[in-house]
Amino acid sequence: MSHITSSNRPRGGGQGKGGARRQENNKIYAYPLPLLFSPPPRTTVSLATSRVLGIFGSSNIQVENPHCEGVLDRATKSVWVTNKKDAMILWRRGFFGKGDLSRSEPSWHTRQVNAHREAAASAGKTLTSEEIREKRRAERIQFKLDRARAMAQAAEEAEIAFKEGRQANTVSIPSGATWKPQQSTQEPSTTEQTLVSKVMPEVEEDEDKIKEEEPLEDIEHLQLTLQETFFLIWNFDCLTVRDPLYDKRLTLKEIWQTLQEVYYPSLPSSSLKLLHSYANRFDNQFLVSYVAYHHYRSLGWVVKGGIKFCVDLLLYKRGPVFQHAEFGVVVIPVYEDPEDQITSPFRLNNVEPFTWSWLSTINRVNAQVQKTLILTYVTIPARSRVDAALVSSPACLAHYSVRDVVLRRFIPARMRD
Amino acid sequence: MESHPSHGELSQLVEKYPQTAGSLFQTYNDLKLAQQWEDLQILDLPACSRGAFKGRRPKTTDMLLVVPCSLAESLSISWFDEAFKQLGKPSQIYLAINAEDSNIVYYKISPGIIKPPV
Repeated sequence: MSHITSSNRPRGGGQGKGGARRQENNKIYAYPLPLLFSPPPRTTVSLATSRVLGIFGSSNIQVENPHCEGVLDRATKSVWVTNKKDAMILWRRGFFGKGDLSRSEPSWHTRQVNAHREAAASAGKTLTSEEIREKRRAERIQFKLDRARAMAQAAEEAEIAFKEGRQANTVSIPSGATWKPQQSTQEPSTTEQTLVSKVMPEVEEDEDKIKEEEPLEDIEHLQLTLQETFFLIWNFDCLTVRDPLYDKRLTLKEIWQTLQEVYYPSLPSSSLKLLHSYANRFDNQFLVSYVAYHHYRSLGWVVKGGIKFCVDLLLYKRGPVFQHAEFGVVVIPVYEDPEDQITSPFRLNNVEPFTWSWLSTINRVNAQVQKTLILTYVTIPARSRVDAALVSSPACLAHYSVRDVVLRRFIPARMRD
Repeated sequence: MESHPSHGELSQLVEKYPQTAGSLFQTYNDLKLAQQWEDLQILDLPACSRGAFKGRRPKTTDMLLVVPCSLAESLSISWFDEAFKQLGKPSQIYLAINAEDSNIVYYKISPGIIKPPV
């Protein structure tokens, strides 16, 4: 059961509504990581024990580990968490993963249930973020129509005025900042109707009847990227991954190997020699992207995918439900030894220098949504300097280096620092 | 993926084109379950080595074409040419770009220069 996720712009409702939602979010998303640390009971004995243990560098703080389970899916290059409880824990404690049928938090089942109870949607009670998004899109379409109409009207006025040889009366053209949605009693769905052909009433009725009869099964899962998966396993040991191909739970060593192999291009079984050329390479897509992910996660950022904004990663200060992402990260792999790039069987993204036009495009897209662009250079160690056999363990990650460059959009009128 | 209810309808294309199975599967689920598209048909696009979809958005009548691809792929203009040809030269197709975190961005691709509607 998904929770109400607040819309990020402060609405006209004011302090009261916004404050309550924020408080609720603070309660639900109180834990930044899947592990919970509970302090020992405050008795004299335990305080004394913790001081003694502290001298030896240990502690008697209890760690609660949720021990979640996931399944590796090679086709989609991800790990699926189908258990609802595990999915909620991973989402709520650190915003790991994404519902595969939802925008962020798995809310597909809630939306289906809400869709059948029309009263809930129009009363605006338990609206999911997708439903809020639909309302916002309907409003934007209406705004665009109003604007187009006003522009056509202004053009007509100008034509007539020109013919009569006088100045045209000014027609006000609505702008994004000043336009207000009409406070009509119509439901948002009817706005769609004015744009497209009419609804088919008979088909709708039949579907509703069928849906009411069967209880709806929740077929959504939480999808974790391979980088999130390894981060959870390696650093917190709170996730176990089952491999459906061999039907077994993978150990840490096996996971490390398997996640790299997911990125090998698929080959006919006869070319083992080619397979050999993919192994033990520092420029495996998994390793390079994991380095960037780990770097920002360990600095405390919530890291999500950035495909919607033409970047590789998005960095959130606390999480998507609190504030929009402040930074968009483009991961640029750099080969320490250019020879490695020539002999590489992989073709990594962003290795070639950007053209100015492409960099400007990405910067513009992000500037439009008030995000700052970060170029993250991940240096891939040279095979000539570092032994390639090191790839068999995460210890090789220490040989990668990460440097970031911030591209800031500067507006003298607004920025004072 | 095999245990998912959608796998049944897609199993033929998943076997035929294993490289694009992931994006096909994700796009199918998004269109069918999340976007609730109606009259969803699964097409075979051998020129692009993948399946494609044809359906209509809820409460509309236009049939739209969707071609899935993954973010890692590199597509050329000739690839699009082939796709348009094989899909019967439609005025537009939607390219569904799938990311590994299950995000899908849809881009409307039309042959030639088209002015935005509003």
